[in-house]
Amino acid sequence: MSVSPRVASWMQATPFAVIMTCLVIVPLGIIFVVSFMDFGFAEIIPEFYLGNWQDVLRSTLTIDTYITVFQQLAIVWSITLVLGFTIAYYLIFHVRSNFWRAIFLAACAIPFWTSGSIRMISWVPLLGREGLVNQFLVGTGLIDEPISWLLYSEFSVIVVYVNMLTLAMLGPIANSMAKISPSVIQAARDQGATEWQTITEVIIPLIKPGFVVGTIFIITAVMGDGFLVRAMSGNQVNTPAVAIMNEINAFQYPPAAAKSVVLLLIVLGMVGLLLRFVDIRKELAR
Amino acid sequence: MKIDTDFHAKKLGPDTAAEEAADVAVKYDVELVSVSKSYDGGAKAVDTISLRIPKASYCCLLGPSGCGKTTTLRMLAGHESVTDGDVLIHNRNITDAVQAKRGTSMMFQSYALFPHLSALDNVAFSLKLKKIAKAERHAQAMEYLKLVQMDHLAHRMPAQLSGGQQQRVALARSLITRPKVLLLDEPLSALDPFLRVLMRTELRRIQTELGITFVHVTHSQEEALALSDVMVVMNSGKIMQAGSARDVFERPANAFVARFIGGHNVIERNGRTIAVRADKCRLVDSAPGPSLAATVISVEYQGPIVRINLRDEAGKDLCVLISDTRFYSDPPSVGEKVLMSWTSDDEWPLDAAA
Amino acid sequence: MGTRRSTSYYVLSFLFAVFLLFQYGPMICVYLLSFQGPEGGMSFPIRGFSTVWFETLFTAGGRGVGDIHNSFGRSLRLGAIVAVLTMLIGVAVGMSFRRRYAGSNFVFYSAIISMIVPGIFVGFGISLTLNMLGLRPQWWYSGIGAQLTWSLPFAMLIMFIILGRMDKSFEEAATDLGATSFQRFQYVILPLILPGVIGMFMAGFTSSYEESARAGLNIGTGNTMPMELTGLLGAATTPVMFAVGTLTTFFMFALIITTLLFTTTLAKRRQLRLSGQHA
Repeated sequence: MSVSPRVASWMQATPFAVIMTCLVIVPLGIIFVVSFMDFGFAEIIPEFYLGNWQDVLRSTLTIDTYITVFQQLAIVWSITLVLGFTIAYYLIFHVRSNFWRAIFLAACAIPFWTSGSIRMISWVPLLGREGLVNQFLVGTGLIDEPISWLLYSEFSVIVVYVNMLTLAMLGPIANSMAKISPSVIQAARDQGATEWQTITEVIIPLIKPGFVVGTIFIITAVMGDGFLVRAMSGNQVNTPAVAIMNEINAFQYPPAAAKSVVLLLIVLGMVGLLLRFVDIRKELAR
Repeated sequence: MKIDTDFHAKKLGPDTAAEEAADVAVKYDVELVSVSKSYDGGAKAVDTISLRIPKASYCCLLGPSGCGKTTTLRMLAGHESVTDGDVLIHNRNITDAVQAKRGTSMMFQSYALFPHLSALDNVAFSLKLKKIAKAERHAQAMEYLKLVQMDHLAHRMPAQLSGGQQQRVALARSLITRPKVLLLDEPLSALDPFLRVLMRTELRRIQTELGITFVHVTHSQEEALALSDVMVVMNSGKIMQAGSARDVFERPANAFVARFIGGHNVIERNGRTIAVRADKCRLVDSAPGPSLAATVISVEYQGPIVRINLRDEAGKDLCVLISDTRFYSDPPSVGEKVLMSWTSDDEWPLDAAA
Repeated sequence: MGTRRSTSYYVLSFLFAVFLLFQYGPMICVYLLSFQGPEGGMSFPIRGFSTVWFETLFTAGGRGVGDIHNSFGRSLRLGAIVAVLTMLIGVAVGMSFRRRYAGSNFVFYSAIISMIVPGIFVGFGISLTLNMLGLRPQWWYSGIGAQLTWSLPFAMLIMFIILGRMDKSFEEAATDLGATSFQRFQYVILPLILPGVIGMFMAGFTSSYEESARAGLNIGTGNTMPMELTGLLGAATTPVMFAVGTLTTFFMFALIITTLLFTTTLAKRRQLRLSGQHA
C-alpha cells in the first residue's frame, strides 16, 4: 500500500489533531459559551445572560485577585530568573567536564521526578511552627517565639513556587547558552573582556530565546495554578485561579466560565506578546 | 590602496615613554623559551620548543594535523596555559599574563564574529569594553573597516556576509586592539582556492604596511612558502626546522621536512640519506652520474609543469617535475621503466633522523 | 583557558551547592520523618525510629489515610495507558511534520495552546463539554483524554527536537539501496528515534501520574494519587503522609532507573552487534 506523502502526513497527524480539537479547542469554546449562560443552584440555565460578565468586570474582588497574582508573578519571575541564569551559567561555562555537567543537570532535574504533591507537603516540617527553621531560630536565640508566617502564607507560596519553577527557567536558558559557539566567548576574552563584560555584552544578548521561553513557562505556571496556592497558603490567599476553582467546586459553572475566559485571555495575551520575540520553530529545528 | 599607517600609529590609549623607547630597542617580537605543553600528565602536545621571531616578520607555523602548531599559537594567545617555559613578547615575559596585557590578538579559524552585532559593532567591541564613547569608537572602527575594504558593509550582520567578508571583519576587529603580534589560526582554510590567493596577498600587504609580526598557522606548504619571512616546520610537538622559506626549501634539515615541504625526493644510497629536488631530476635513457631505476606510476598534468610519479625497485615513491614542453616532446607512459637521474651538485645531505 | 580557576568559579560552585540543598532538603526531611516513631508528630525531632507509619499504610484504610491503595492503583493504570498512547500518537504526529502539509500550522499551534493554557481550564472545559452533552466523566475516556492533552504536545516537541537533529543522509542512503518507506522507518528512523520514543513513554507516564488539574474533574469516581494527596494535605495529622511520600518517590525512582538501565543495555547490545560480536 502506498499513499502520497501528503496524505500520509494527514493520516499520521489525524489522531493528534482529533484529540487536540475535541479536547482542547472545543472545550475552550464551550467555556466561552457557558460564560454567557445563567445559572441556578448547581445547574446551568441555557439562556443568554450577561450577569456573569458584569460581575466579573465590575467587581473589586477581581482586581484584588489579579493584583495578588501579578505580585506573585513578579517576585517568582525575578527570583527564578536570577537563580536560573546563575546556575545555568555555572553549569555551561564553568563546569568543564562533560560528565559532571550531565550529572549536575540530572541532579537539578531529579526532584521533578518525585510527586509534586509530596514536594508541597515536604515544606510543612520545615516551615511550620514546630518546623526545623523555627526550631533553629528559637534554639539559637535569634527570636523569642516561632514565626507563624513561614507556612500557610504568601511567603510559603513564593518559596514553593521558586522551588518548583527554577528548573523551568534554568532549562531553556542553559539550552540557549549551550548553543553559543565557544570560539565567540574566546574571541570576547581575546578582545579584553572581563568575565562580567563577557556576560553582559555577549552571553545575555545571545540567550534571549531562553529567557523568553522560560518566562512563558513561569507565566503559565503561576497565573494558572490554583492547587499550590490553596495548599500552601492554607486557603488564605486568593488568586484568579483559586477563585475559579472555588466556584467550580461549588458548581457555579457560568461565573467560573466567565472568570476563566478573562484569565485565559490575559495569559494568552501575555504569552502571545512574548512569542513575538522568539521563533519557536526555529528554536526547535536547530 | 594606501593604508594610513599614521592613523594606526596614533595613540589610542596611554603608553609610557619608557615602553616606547623599549619597543624601539627590541630585536625580536616573539620569543619562545623551552616551551612545553602537556595535558593532565599525558603526552606532550608541545615538547620544549624554542623560537625567536624577528621584529615585523611574517612567520608561518607549518605541519601536519596534531603537530602542535595550533597549541603553540594558542599558548601565545593566552588561550592555553603554558606547562613549562616562557613566552616573551617585546622582551616582556607574558607567559601567565592576562589577555589585555599580552600585546597579542587572535584571528579565529571560524572567525568567531559576535552574531548579534553588526560588522561595525564587532570591530568596535574592544573599544566599547574600554568605555570609549559611541561616536568615537564607531569612527575608529570605520577606519579599520576601510583598511580591509569592508566599510560599505559596516552595518551588515555576520550572517549576511560571505566567508571572505567575515574574515576581513575579523581581521579588522583583531587589528583595532593594536596588537604587537597578530595570531592567525588557519585563516584561509575555509576559503575557496581563488579567494585564498587573493586574501593571502592582502594579509601580506597589511602586515608589511603595519610593521607588526604575524604568526600564521597553516597546513599548506604552498601558503607557507608564499607568505613566510620565517617558516617553522613542526612535527609531534617539536620544531623540525625554522628559517627563511628559501632556506627550508633548498636546504631541508631532515627527511621529514624534505618530504613535508614537497617537491623533494628523499633517497638513501651508500649509507647516506640525501634529498634531491624533483625539478632537478630528469628521466633519461642512460646516465653517467647518479641515477635510479624506476617504473612510471602516474602522470599528472599541472599546466606549466607535469608531475610524473615513479616507484623504484625498493618500492619507494619518487617524483619528477618537468616543464610541459619537455614532457610533450617525449612523453613517458604509465608502466614504462625509466631511469631517473640527477647531478651530485644537486644532492643535499640530510640528518638520519626522519 | 588553562587550568586556573577564577574566584567566580568557587562562588558559583558554592551557590550551586546551596541550590541543590534547597531542592533536595525538603524531600530528605520527608524521607527521614517517614521513619518517625509512633509517638512522633509531623515535625522534627524524630522520636524513635520505626516503620510503623509504613505499616499503617498497608493495612487498608487505617487511621484516616484515605484511599491511598486504590488511588495509587488508579494512577498506575491511567499512567500506563496514557504513556502508551502518547508514544504511539506522538511518533505519528512527529513523523507527519517531515513534510509541509495543509493544516500543519493548526496542529502545531493547537499543541502550543494546549501547553500554554493552564490545566484547570482544559479540565474545566472538558467537564463542561461533557455536561452539555449529558455524558458523565469516566476515567477511560475523559480521564485519559484530558491527560493526553498535556502529554501529547510534549511528545510532539521531543519528536521535533530529535527529528531536527537527525541526519537526512541515512535515509537517503537507505532509499538508494532500495528500502521502501516502511522499511526506512523500521530500520533507519525507528532505531534513531528510539531514545526519544522511550522519553515520550516516560514523559507520558510521569506527567499523567503528576497531573491533577486536567484529570481532576474528568476522572469520574475515584481519585488519582495527586488528587488524593492534596486532598489529605489540609487534613494531614500523622506522618503517614511522609511514608506515602517516601514510597512514591522510591517507586518513581525505580521506574526511571529501570528505564535507564533498559535503554543503556539496548545501546550496549547495539554497540556489540555493530562491532561484530554477539551479546
